Amino acid sequence: MVVRDARALVNGPAIGPVGWGLVILPVALLVGALCVALAAWAAWFVAADRAVVLRQLWGGAVVEAVLVVQGVIAAAVLATKDHDVDAALFWGYVVVQLIVLPIAAAWAFAERTRWSSVVLLVAALTTGFLEYRLWQIWGVS
Amino acid sequence: MTKVAPTRPTGSGPGRLLVAVYGILALAATARGIYQVATKLSDAPVAYLLSLFSGVVYILATIALATDRRRLAWVTVLVELVGVLVVGTLSVVDVGEFPDETVWSGFGAGYGYIPLVLPFLGLLWLWRTGRRAPDDVAAADSTDDDGAATVG
Repeated sequence: MVVRDARALVNGPAIGPVGWGLVILPVALLVGALCVALAAWAAWFVAADRAVVLRQLWGGAVVEAVLVVQGVIAAAVLATKDHDVDAALFWGYVVVQLIVLPIAAAWAFAERTRWSSVVLLVAALTTGFLEYRLWQIWGVS
Repeated sequence: MTKVAPTRPTGSGPGRLLVAVYGILALAATARGIYQVATKLSDAPVAYLLSLFSGVVYILATIALATDRRRLAWVTVLVELVGVLVVGTLSVVDVGEFPDETVWSGFGAGYGYIPLVLPFLGLLWLWRTGRRAPDDVAAADSTDDDGAATVG
């Protein structure tokens, strides 16, 4: 594409999947680990027949904070480097991933039975899975 | 408003989880539909518009189940059931007309068959919460807080 070629002239050669992955790998691993940790916490509460507590919502907020940082890094890389990432698809996943946990957490917190924790568990796993999909979209060159 | 028999709210208890899964699917299907319609509608207009339609159905079903709008919930869950069965069958039988581009293609294989299982769970849940045996009502009156763990 014309625009892409022009950008390549300005910004140097396109970064391949490896270079792209090195930028984003630590963030993706961190998000994945945090999601698994939050899911495990929720699963423990399911087993203990307890509802979501406020401290778990703070845990979700930590995940959200990392997601925002990830979005900023991704925006910076997409803006400055030539790439073959489908931007519409990528940002679609970013937005969906950002809103799943807050909405689900609010929905879960209003329920005061064990099902509350099941909702948080599902939301955390979904956020982690969306991170995996984002990773796939990043990797495609 | 005269209610003949009290019905359990569709959005609490196990319904919390049902609504959550519906909500996630609503997000996934709608985001996918918007992306497809916005970027490549001319490639397969029927499939992509169907994709967007499925997203709208899931959104309505989610809202209906969450806010205890039973009639809307019945209609949307039934539409969803018909959708996944018809589109699923068409996608398997006739590949040309329906490429694998909607949530319902291949009976929801791309989404862990959740789109196939969900409408059955939705109908079961609507049926179970909608009817209450007389002795069940009496039992519920005596023990009102059955199983509701209160954890702050």
